[in-house]
Amino acid sequence: MTSPIPASPRVVLRLDRIGRRRAGRVAVQELSLELQAGQVLGLLGVNGAGKSTTLSMIAGALRPDRGDIRLNGEDFLEHPALARTQIGWLPERAPVWAELSVGEHLDAHGRLRGLNGAALRQAREQVIARLELQPLARRLAGVLSQGQRQRLGLACALLHRPALLVLDEPANALDPVQAAKLRTLIREQAAAGNAVILSTHLLAEVTAVCDRVAILHEGTLRHDGPLSTGDHAALERTFFEIAMNGVVRAA
Amino acid sequence: MSLAAVTRLEWRRLLVRPLAWVLAALTVAWLAWNFTLLLGGFLASQVQRAAQPDGPGFVDLVGVPLLGQLAQLAFLVVPLLAMSTLAGERRNGTLPLLFAAGVPAWRIVLGKYLALLGWLLLWLALALAMPLALAHATHFDWGKLAAATLGLALMLAALAAVGVACSAFASHPALAAAATLMIALALWSVNLGAQLAGVNGGAINWLAMSTHLQPLLRGLVSSADLAWFALLIALALALATRRLDAERERG
Repeated sequence: MTSPIPASPRVVLRLDRIGRRRAGRVAVQELSLELQAGQVLGLLGVNGAGKSTTLSMIAGALRPDRGDIRLNGEDFLEHPALARTQIGWLPERAPVWAELSVGEHLDAHGRLRGLNGAALRQAREQVIARLELQPLARRLAGVLSQGQRQRLGLACALLHRPALLVLDEPANALDPVQAAKLRTLIREQAAAGNAVILSTHLLAEVTAVCDRVAILHEGTLRHDGPLSTGDHAALERTFFEIAMNGVVRAA
Repeated sequence: MSLAAVTRLEWRRLLVRPLAWVLAALTVAWLAWNFTLLLGGFLASQVQRAAQPDGPGFVDLVGVPLLGQLAQLAFLVVPLLAMSTLAGERRNGTLPLLFAAGVPAWRIVLGKYLALLGWLLLWLALALAMPLALAHATHFDWGKLAAATLGLALMLAALAAVGVACSAFASHPALAAAATLMIALALWSVNLGAQLAGVNGGAINWLAMSTHLQPLLRGLVSSADLAWFALLIALALALATRRLDAERERG
């Protein structure tokens, strides 16, 4: 009797040599990555390394100049509408429509993502409960603190239950309690089979929740590898070597 | 679906913004004051007009001049309402949220345009309610009022399209408002020199908005005039769409 061959994990996202110029300079070049369902990828890099540009391209807010992006096997650049149902994006600084309330934000995002009627109401209630937004539901987004905005942005990203969650500096301005809750939420998403990309400056954030780490430097991918619990010192060494010298020295 | 979501979002933002309410209150109050003045003049001249069976009636002396006042106010109101449609989104950082929801540029432009147009038509309906309130008490030229209303609706639609296009190109809402005002004034008075020189035909007169609005205000509906407005609206919305597409491409 032969043992069954384990099914290979589903690839949610595949970047193939994508590149992008911004403001006359190369922001990202020749970037290739794969992300499987249930994986949490930490994207690290110094300021200007190309992290936000990469995430904007993955989220569909920006088109790459070159290369391919495949989302669940489908050509994302050919079918940008895939972003609508399959990607949830929390941009850096969580932009909001200041004149709308938190509840109206969730409704607007839900409708933009194709939710309506009972499905929208149910999704909104769930995400409000999960992110403890009940006390803020009627408050205008323009008067929220930055940390509350981050939570609202996260709620909008999660509302339509995307297969890929793209988080750009999600722990910005969160208090330690909320930051811990964010880590739990990210692990929950991964356990539910969703892929998560997390860009951050906080190495501790990466070692706490990610099972893989990619380091960008000057727009190119300099490191991509698995991460085990307790690898903080090794990650810190790798990161600083890349950040200071642009290369990882052989051990 | 996403077109309706964008329209609804923009409509909601218009309704909760104090600017729209303040503009509506001030302009409707101004129109109501002018309506009473026009009505007073109409009543005072009733005896003289009784001797002219084919002389101007209520619609000529009250309805159409009131709509003419609204046309003048539109040069101020439309730029102020249109300025934030896209330039405001860009400034807030919320435009990428619409891109990332997989909404094509033409739907973003059209959705915002329809919401703005809806507000302007409501404004027109409020102004129209004043002469209509006296429809049962006077001899009413329905055809002439319908033609004038159509003319005003087309003028508002054209100015709104120009406003959305300027907002798509401008980096700041105030720049968009100034550009819309300048273009609207240029469109209105481009043939001023020709008119002063006694030239009534030619391309320069064809270009002017007043050439196509005046016949409608006099009750003359011609397909050439309707086509001019349709062309201007289509051109402005197409330019706005191209600008947004380029923004998604270029970042």
